[in-house]
Amino acid sequence: MKTQSRIDAQTNLILRIHIIWRGLLALMAALSVWMIWARMAELPVWQKILFSLAAILVMVFSSYGAYQFSKHNHSGRMISLTLDYLGFVVCFVFALNVGEFFIGIDALGENFGKGIPYLGITVLGYFLGMLEEYFPTRNNASENSLKTVSKWVMLSGFLLFLWQVKALNGIVYFFGKFAQPGGMVAVIGLMVFGLSLWSMNRPNVAQALNVKTRHEQVINGWLFLSPNLLGFLIFFAGPLLLSFYFSFTDSDAIRTPNWVGFDNYAKILNIKFITLDVPDQLARDVVDIKVYDEVGRFTFGDRGILFAAEDKFFWLALRNTLTFVLFAVPLSVLPALVLSNVLNSKLPGMKFYRAVYFMPSIAAVVGISLVWQWLYNATIGYINYFITLGIEFWNNLFNVAIIDPKIQWVSDEKTALFAIIIIAAWQTMGFNTVLFLAGLQNIPGELYEAATVDGAGAWDKFWGITLPMLAPTTFYVVSTTTIQAMQVFEQVFILMNPPEGPNNSTITLVLYLYRSGFQNFKQGYASAIAWVLFIVIFGLTLIQFQRQRRSSIYES
Amino acid sequence: MKKNLLLKIMGLVIIASFVLTACGSPAATEAPEATEAPAMTEAPAATEAPATEASSADVALRWRTRPDNQEEIDVYSKISTELDAQLDGITLTYEPGGSEGSNYQDQLRAEVAAGTAPDVFWIPGTDVADFATRGLILNAADLAAATDGYTATDFYEGPMYHLTYNPETGASGDGSGAVWGLPRDVSTFALYINLDLIAEAGAADPRELAANGEWDWEAFLEVSQATRALGSDIYGYGASAWWGPYGVWLNASGGGFFTEDRTACNLNSAESLAGLDFQRSLYQDYDVAVPYGEDPEPGFRAGKVAMFQNGRWATPGVRTVDFNWDVVELPAGPNGTAGNWLFWGAYVINANTEHPEEAWALVQALTTAETQGKVAALGANIPSRVSQEALDAFLTFTPPANNQAFLNGIDPSAAPTAEGPLWAGSWPQFDQIMGPAIQGVLTGSTTVDDFGATICDEANKAFNQ
Repeated sequence: MKTQSRIDAQTNLILRIHIIWRGLLALMAALSVWMIWARMAELPVWQKILFSLAAILVMVFSSYGAYQFSKHNHSGRMISLTLDYLGFVVCFVFALNVGEFFIGIDALGENFGKGIPYLGITVLGYFLGMLEEYFPTRNNASENSLKTVSKWVMLSGFLLFLWQVKALNGIVYFFGKFAQPGGMVAVIGLMVFGLSLWSMNRPNVAQALNVKTRHEQVINGWLFLSPNLLGFLIFFAGPLLLSFYFSFTDSDAIRTPNWVGFDNYAKILNIKFITLDVPDQLARDVVDIKVYDEVGRFTFGDRGILFAAEDKFFWLALRNTLTFVLFAVPLSVLPALVLSNVLNSKLPGMKFYRAVYFMPSIAAVVGISLVWQWLYNATIGYINYFITLGIEFWNNLFNVAIIDPKIQWVSDEKTALFAIIIIAAWQTMGFNTVLFLAGLQNIPGELYEAATVDGAGAWDKFWGITLPMLAPTTFYVVSTTTIQAMQVFEQVFILMNPPEGPNNSTITLVLYLYRSGFQNFKQGYASAIAWVLFIVIFGLTLIQFQRQRRSSIYES
Repeated sequence: MKKNLLLKIMGLVIIASFVLTACGSPAATEAPEATEAPAMTEAPAATEAPATEASSADVALRWRTRPDNQEEIDVYSKISTELDAQLDGITLTYEPGGSEGSNYQDQLRAEVAAGTAPDVFWIPGTDVADFATRGLILNAADLAAATDGYTATDFYEGPMYHLTYNPETGASGDGSGAVWGLPRDVSTFALYINLDLIAEAGAADPRELAANGEWDWEAFLEVSQATRALGSDIYGYGASAWWGPYGVWLNASGGGFFTEDRTACNLNSAESLAGLDFQRSLYQDYDVAVPYGEDPEPGFRAGKVAMFQNGRWATPGVRTVDFNWDVVELPAGPNGTAGNWLFWGAYVINANTEHPEEAWALVQALTTAETQGKVAALGANIPSRVSQEALDAFLTFTPPANNQAFLNGIDPSAAPTAEGPLWAGSWPQFDQIMGPAIQGVLTGSTTVDDFGATICDEANKAFNQ
């Protein structure tokens, strides 16, 4: 009550308007929920649910905000600022859409580049103006003329820039769009939300709502976070949740999806293990072949076990992916550890080698895969060429008859996945080396000095100091490399022809979900595969976290 | 302070101009529908965008096809410009698609799903059913019926069977009630032969054998073995790893991928397995072929492969080699034919186009004998119109000297199997099952018997249950 007595009439009016505005917004949100379900029959269910949820949240928070305003509570302001800020952003994006900004990227690419040289003239003009600061003269007249010239150069450069990028066209077109209903809605929205934000930020209003410095700090903190947070919600969390929904539908990305419950997951996980009377018994004799396919079989003497699945490709992909991880991770971590120790030495030229080993990490995967494709070519590839040369040299030198294996790196079922592992390990090793190097440089030198005093050798220091002290780095390297390996795709897609390889020896989970979603029009099923993959990666990472906690010297 | 303020203002104006440049392109300002369309976010808005030069009365159309190289892009761009001038009231924008098959199709599918695909686009024959049954391409039957002089028989029968197939009635041809598009061109396989290697090996010239009617699997194997004997790095035969090359061996022995009505798998028939077994023997028993899965084209161009099986589309690339070469038709198999394919792809109309009539006019213009002749002159493909004039012209597009080998491949007497979609199933799914399994056989990790015992159990799942 004390606070209320200090509120001036104008502030009081603003607060009253805000209470009405909050109530009105809540009412509009409630109305939009009704419209979504009653008037928008053509809208897919998932969109109805999504928009309804958003509207209900606006309705609830706006009503609560109005209530808090009536109590002159600062949380009312916080809610108001948040909702109005979000509303402003939505209207701004909508305005850009109305102005066809999002489909004008080609025009942007084509025209903006033409204007950049003229921006150079502007910069030149700016530097002309700066000359007098670096080379002061006593002649005021010449200084003034230089300033004038600088201004005119800057202005003319800038105008030419605006002319070249067709900014005037843009203004005319952009504002022309606002005469249409969609444009008007966007403008009114921008004005209303903007006005609301402005009035909420007035010191008198803040004071009337008992806003303290810490409240302002919280708001500012969220405001600075908001660009990233909104980007995360819209471009990462949103699609993530959407794919979760799609995983329960038969979505083909084109028609309205139908809800199929757990069917997609059931198909993925529908497997059978059946004992075979004889190891080579046909799958069709023991399972319903219209449903199941043989994934593999295990032989024990004169008996066998058949592993059948409704979706054999998923299980083959899982097998290949796990095999890939099993080999690619150690091969890209262990050599990196050794290499980082070598590169950490003070020998001359080490910086050069650090750069050399890091280069594969920054090269484009597609380019790398194409180069390796040539190297691996069984008939004219360099790898086999050097193997042949080596064998011929050896045979001639020792008069032996070693047969040239002529390895079919990518076309043989036994070597295809290994060929991809080599590329992945080679490419990842450099980046891991840099991470290990950073870790090594954080180990205090005193530890090694003390160990030297105690008579420890190089090997003892490595085992006793380097490895334990590198544990956090190792954990990070192993975790990220494992996650990356579980998502292997590009190398397989580019290198192999067909990507699945002979007898599906190189089909991987991401490749399979890509094939399902983007080539076979099965977005719903592909989403389910993606979520199963997520669970597998999450499980593996969790195990690594637990092992790390148990073994970390930092924890103990 | 003033300077700082000036810089800040200029910075803001630059950011604003970033937005305005995107909005203020001539495309956006001059597109006729832009001011009329209430739903600015819908696909047609993108369709309108490229109409940079459109007069206010013109209808702007985007069209796309898959070129294999820059020369083809140039030819298609030129054709687009010429048709733009020729078609009244239509302004065209040509968009070259990806150069790799999968990229082109994947990108196109994504754009179709997003509603931003062009008005007219090319798709391979195998995709027609998938696009048609999902309602992604327009059935132009009504437009075709109202067009003077249009008849499906102007084009090769194989492609038109599928392009006029009505999935509801099962009818095909003129009056079936379906026209999904018109074929851009046709192609077929031949063997690109390294004449120097064959001469060096002392083997018979395959062209002469073909002319004498002696070019069969046995003769093919003899030439392959003779050239393979030239050195451990010389191969008698090479083919790429996809369904086309291995399919011909199955076709030539009387088998094939599907049953005659294309409603079930036929990979396990005795004829199909016999054809597959002969091909397997080339890789595994006789060791005359570039290992399956390895790209044979670099080897052929390096002069280390005597016979390279590929389509007409490989001709521009082969023309750059520095040895004597020519082409010969595929050898005849046990059933007396080479089992060759009639490859084709079609221009189809986006089901969401706002201008179906203009799009149909464009499809027709893109498939006239004149337009096809311009594309065929590059040497990469054969006109899809059945016309002696077109075939005569094709023979002049040399090298290779023996262009007739390609025409023999598509001649009805050679009974080529038309590439085609699966109206009763999913071709991509079938291919996904078949490809790796056949590769397993040809690389020696699966026996033909094991393949035959299980393949159709799996592949039949690609057909509608």
